[in-house]
Amino acid sequence: MISTLLAISLAGSIAAWPLSKLFGRHAGWGLASLPAGLFAGFVGLATTIEAGGRISDRSAWAPTLGIEWSLRLDGFALLFCLLVTGIGTLVVIYAGAYLAGDSLRNRARFFTLILLFMTSMLGAVLADDMIVMFVFWEATSILSFLLIGFDADSASARRSALMSLRVTAGGGLALLAAIIMIGSTLGTYSMTETIARAPEIAQSRWIQPILAGLMIGAFTKSAQFPFHFWLPNAMQAPTPASAYLHSATMVKLGVYLLARFEPVIGQVPGGRDVLIAVALATMLTGAVQALRAENFKSVLAYSTVASLGILMMLVALDGPVAGVATVGFILAHALYKATLFFCAGNVLHATGLSKLRLMGGLGRFLPVTAAAAALASLSMAGLPPFLGFISKEFLFEAQIQSSWNAVPVAVAVIVNAVIVGVAGVVTLRPFFMGRGKVREVKHREVPGLVAAPLILALLGLVISLDSDWISRSVLRPAVSSIYGRPVELKVALWHGVTPIVLLSAIVVGIGALIFTFWGPIHRRLSTQSALHRFDVEHAYDGMLRALDRVAVRAAARVHHGDLRGYIRVVIAGALGFAIWGILASGAVPRIDSGTGAMNAGAVVIALTGLAGAVAATRSQSLLAAMIAVGLSGLVTALLFMMNGAPDLALTQFAVESLMVVLLTVMLFIVPLRAPSTRTPPERRWDAILSAAFALVMLVVLLDMTAAAPRNDVSAFFGRESYVAAFGKNVVNVILVDFRGFDTLGETSVIALASIIAWSLLGPRNALEARMGIRSGKAAFVLAFMSPVFFWLLLVMSVIILLRGHNEIGGGFVGGLTAALAFAIVSLARGVERARERLRLHPLTLASGGLLLAIVSGMPGLLVNGDFLSHIWIDTQILGVSVKQGTTLLFDLGVYIAVLGTVLSFLFGLRREAAR
Amino acid sequence: MTTIYAIVAAGMFGCGLYMVLSRNLVRMILGLSLLTTAVNLVLFQTGRMRSGQPPLIAEGATTLGNSADPVPQALILTAIVIGFALTVVMAALALRAYRDHATLRSDEIHSALDLGDSAAERNDR
Repeated sequence: MISTLLAISLAGSIAAWPLSKLFGRHAGWGLASLPAGLFAGFVGLATTIEAGGRISDRSAWAPTLGIEWSLRLDGFALLFCLLVTGIGTLVVIYAGAYLAGDSLRNRARFFTLILLFMTSMLGAVLADDMIVMFVFWEATSILSFLLIGFDADSASARRSALMSLRVTAGGGLALLAAIIMIGSTLGTYSMTETIARAPEIAQSRWIQPILAGLMIGAFTKSAQFPFHFWLPNAMQAPTPASAYLHSATMVKLGVYLLARFEPVIGQVPGGRDVLIAVALATMLTGAVQALRAENFKSVLAYSTVASLGILMMLVALDGPVAGVATVGFILAHALYKATLFFCAGNVLHATGLSKLRLMGGLGRFLPVTAAAAALASLSMAGLPPFLGFISKEFLFEAQIQSSWNAVPVAVAVIVNAVIVGVAGVVTLRPFFMGRGKVREVKHREVPGLVAAPLILALLGLVISLDSDWISRSVLRPAVSSIYGRPVELKVALWHGVTPIVLLSAIVVGIGALIFTFWGPIHRRLSTQSALHRFDVEHAYDGMLRALDRVAVRAAARVHHGDLRGYIRVVIAGALGFAIWGILASGAVPRIDSGTGAMNAGAVVIALTGLAGAVAATRSQSLLAAMIAVGLSGLVTALLFMMNGAPDLALTQFAVESLMVVLLTVMLFIVPLRAPSTRTPPERRWDAILSAAFALVMLVVLLDMTAAAPRNDVSAFFGRESYVAAFGKNVVNVILVDFRGFDTLGETSVIALASIIAWSLLGPRNALEARMGIRSGKAAFVLAFMSPVFFWLLLVMSVIILLRGHNEIGGGFVGGLTAALAFAIVSLARGVERARERLRLHPLTLASGGLLLAIVSGMPGLLVNGDFLSHIWIDTQILGVSVKQGTTLLFDLGVYIAVLGTVLSFLFGLRREAAR
Repeated sequence: MTTIYAIVAAGMFGCGLYMVLSRNLVRMILGLSLLTTAVNLVLFQTGRMRSGQPPLIAEGATTLGNSADPVPQALILTAIVIGFALTVVMAALALRAYRDHATLRSDEIHSALDLGDSAAERNDR
């Protein structure tokens, strides 16, 4: 049932975007039907709640995490739901008129955000599972952020929006931590169960961090000292949002949470003391700042801070009246403060003025607004017969009944007096005094603008005069659900002359004095530099600046832009892990003593390769370094050759040759002389690091070769290669058949490299593409012999490809050899000649090769249901049985892909050289 | 002989690392090429160099006789080609960097670093 209401709310909020465009100028009235309907729905549920019932709604959400989608509607939640939907209705109507001058898009955005906020607010107070509540809680923070920053072009709006997000969402994280600690202590996230097991949680060893987290979450949300500074800044939001979020509903979430957890807080020694101390500090801060503030909305914002402090104090007080006072004040404050915000909005809308000093005599132009403001102010001042009076009576009664000393009472008297003064200042000064200060207004009152303040202001009177329904159906169940048992509640305007009435009289008396001397008080306070200096907002700004500085320094240190530094970290890290791994295993490295016969020739060849590598590090010329590195490569090829790996040797030879062709093109362009780029100490450190790595590598290698080899995999391939895959070259069979999928992956890497080649080195414009690539002249002999070499290599490459399955060869080597053929032509007769020979675009070739390799796996997929399981066909050619399989297609694909990629680099680099 | 091969592979590895640490882009790429060769040599030794016979099934036989280990060979074969492609891609990048910045020093090329820097972007305009 409640989930349905919530779902309707969400769906309606989303539909608000298109609908507000459809409704056009009257969108406010149309869209208000959503909150109004929900309001009616909650009123309909009130009878169940009144009878002492509570409506629950639960289903599984993330059972393995113990998180349940559980909602519950009890008296306290109902009070909030009625406030949220009721004031929401008026806010939407008001916003429709207030934003009439804005663009259609802006209005649609505002309606969507405000209704989404309403949904999250409902979710937050309805949720029983605290994780669910947290989700909605944070959603209100985010929507508040979006609404404060609604005027995204304004730098101050953006700053204020970020400030509120940092404070409230940061506090939300503390709340989450507390919730999780509760969950792991009690094994449940249900709020009802947690409260029922209050003694248990109060005894747990985590109670201090849990309370700290809950309180930080509540204090940030409800703008308690020292987190209060975001709320006055939040007045950057459009006025309807300020009225709704930042006075009537969202800022009361913190109060709501702690009121729920009051049974837990009450059981912890010092729990109430902390709350009272924070509440008193908040009340005094709000009161002083309200007197200093200049803007209509700022004055209201600071008085809201003071009121939130009062609410927090009421939560902390013990005794049954405190709960009544809390609930009553939430209702009264929501009604009169939202009204005053609407009135401030009307003044701003009509005159464009925001400073109270400049306003006066507005009652003539905005009569209904003035009347509403007067009604609301009377309630705010706590004068009979308004709701504010009743709630203030309860406030003082709760204080007197509680076990606290006189300090909170004294503070409450002073703060309430300031609130009385503020009530006078914000109503009498702009509307009724200073006639003639404002001579004309831009907009007159329209129904949409005055409906909301008037209805709310009248409600503050009507409820107190006829409080039967509201106290029976809403207030009493609300108090009961905070206390967990039914509470007697008698709402009456007059109890006779009691100490409480005397306190009220004192408050009004001081308030009248404050109002009378507002001018001097305001001037004295606003010129007090000490108050300015110790503003918490400065601390916030300072903290942000310090954070920026730390970030800049850390980034400069870690992200310094020197590639060598990054690589050093990688190498040192890898080295560290390797050493750690060796030490942690506790193994002593083995060395094979019986190394077998030394082959003198092999030793010389191997050492030549090492010499090449060393020479490469020493050489000052890049050309020499390339030749030295090439030497190492060729030696490696020879070592492969001598140790039973002709396939590898062939591949390595082809690669080394192509590398020379391609890298020389680069060396044509860049300076060959390359003096050292490192200082001698840097070189020394690099040498030490590299040597250390090489040493670890040597130890690992010696240990590995001393161990007995594991040959099961190799033995399997050797056994099955011919029997199962009809190939005699085991290496090739592994590549194209057993591990065909791997090879396909590698082929696609190579094919993709051709795209890089083309995007980096391809023609940069249409003209270049047409012009082709100029080339220099080659030696006569080479030019003369090139066709011979070309065809020789090309034919050879095909033979290598075809016989690969049974003899030395295969697609990779074949492709490289074919590329060599084209490389020779391009060296001898220019790239254009080579391209003519090719006919196809190298990119087409590379992608075509990849495609062919993929297609070759399809027959296997269709016949055997396994991709790349090859199919063999026995054919008789000239009486000889020839077995052909799709492996050949696969290898051909590899061949073409390799050829295409190498050629795209060859042509691209040559083109770059010609530029 | 095994010891000699191990020394050569580890030595080439160290030399490659030393070159990779250079701030000259081309030297770094050459070092990378050397490094891939060295790694292949290391991989090759996992097969223990037990026989000079290539892993080909003899005429008339159906299973592999005494020969070199085929598995590391299959791994290395693709590694050689991939390493080659990697080197060439890096070379193409270095070449473009040299064209744009007229330097091969990696610490003088800041295009990527400046991407997120609004001040540098403003200067560009």
